[in-house]
Amino acid sequence: MEVKIEQIIAYALGIILFVVGIVCYAAFPVETPEEPIRIMFKSTAGNILFDHKVHAGEAGYGIGCSDCHHNLEDEGDTPPACGECHEVDGEDPIKRSDAFHQNCQGCHEDEGAGPVECSACHVR
Amino acid sequence: MPNQKLLVSSHAPYWHNGSSISGKNYSIMLAALPAVGMGIYQYGMPALGVLAFSVSCAMIWELIMNLVMRRPVSIGDGNAAVIGLLFGMLLPATTPWWMVLVGTFIAIVVGKQIYGGMGCNPFNPSLVGIAIVMLSWKNYLNFNAALVNYDLGFYMVYPLAAVKHLGTSALSNYSISGLIFGQQTGGVGTTFGLGLIIGGLYLILRGHIRWEISLSFLVGVFMTAYLFNIADPDKYAGPMFHIFTGYTLFGAFFLLTEDSSSPVNFIPMLIYGAAAGFLTVLIRNIGAFVDGAVFAILMMNVANPLLDKIRPKAFGRGIEHA
Repeated sequence: MEVKIEQIIAYALGIILFVVGIVCYAAFPVETPEEPIRIMFKSTAGNILFDHKVHAGEAGYGIGCSDCHHNLEDEGDTPPACGECHEVDGEDPIKRSDAFHQNCQGCHEDEGAGPVECSACHVR
Repeated sequence: MPNQKLLVSSHAPYWHNGSSISGKNYSIMLAALPAVGMGIYQYGMPALGVLAFSVSCAMIWELIMNLVMRRPVSIGDGNAAVIGLLFGMLLPATTPWWMVLVGTFIAIVVGKQIYGGMGCNPFNPSLVGIAIVMLSWKNYLNFNAALVNYDLGFYMVYPLAAVKHLGTSALSNYSISGLIFGQQTGGVGTTFGLGLIIGGLYLILRGHIRWEISLSFLVGVFMTAYLFNIADPDKYAGPMFHIFTGYTLFGAFFLLTEDSSSPVNFIPMLIYGAAAGFLTVLIRNIGAFVDGAVFAILMMNVANPLLDKIRPKAFGRGIEHA
């Protein structure tokens, strides 16, 4: 008799949790913030975890959008993807790694702040 | 020997003390609640989704296997639910549903049912599930990549990854008290150290898990991390950091102590726990993986039958050619 009750409880628990799980996945997906918090850049030399909030936030370094993202019409606009202008077969192609190294490492060197060694950003 | 009674027995009839397998499994789920609650509080509804879906999928796989193998329905004993819960607690809150579905299939079917069900599994089923998922889709189990959209008000870089890649210079971002109170990224139910300790102590006091295993594991982690730390303090973090980060506490109280994959005798339990702790830190510090707890415990699961060969000496004296 006790086993029967245990089974009924288990069926009820299983059904309830299944419904809760589906509802959570369907109705409450992980929200992507309008302005990124952190970005994981994938690279064969080792991925880079870039803290966007620390760089752009008022409580962090407070760097303006256009200091890194060029061709913005208004400050705060969503920046276009690099490939929209810099087409692979176009006149002005640029390697993504060159662009990021120039931007990140260049700024770190100019400001005398932030890491410049490879292994400080690229982690495996 | 003085008049000390080693074993007292009385005649039948006997009275069952009321303990049951389902009672034990529901106790384990109860013990996990503080850590689960903190995970849901921190990561919100997506964390609840992962946990609820994981528990229910594990129960569904168990039921399907019962029906396919024409065995009595065994989801009432709560073991499948525990496996699902522990598997869900190891995952980040952003785990996609299909990975939970596949992971629970591996845990229940490959980790448990094909060996004959509860009590016959040589490995911890939840760990079999997480190990295969971790090797198959490592980016989803990379906590730094998985939790990029969360900002919980503390340093959101996975502590073990930070120390492994940047050395002990990264330690200044963490405090031991913060780590104990869950101020670290990680699995849904593995970051709240205090909750895991409370849950573990509850299970030890109720007699559901053996303190020898948990304690020897923590001592193993402590001693190994301490030796690494004094060998190179710039590269290797100290023992307290290793105890309160990653899957250490969760492993000590919920994974390593699983019944059928852990030894039953005193000395083997100590060796099993301490060796798992040693391997955990070894993999963390000089291995390829950021957290070594999963593979360390699985390796000691393999050694379990061998360790249990170390038995207490039998009473009495053997007489040859009697």
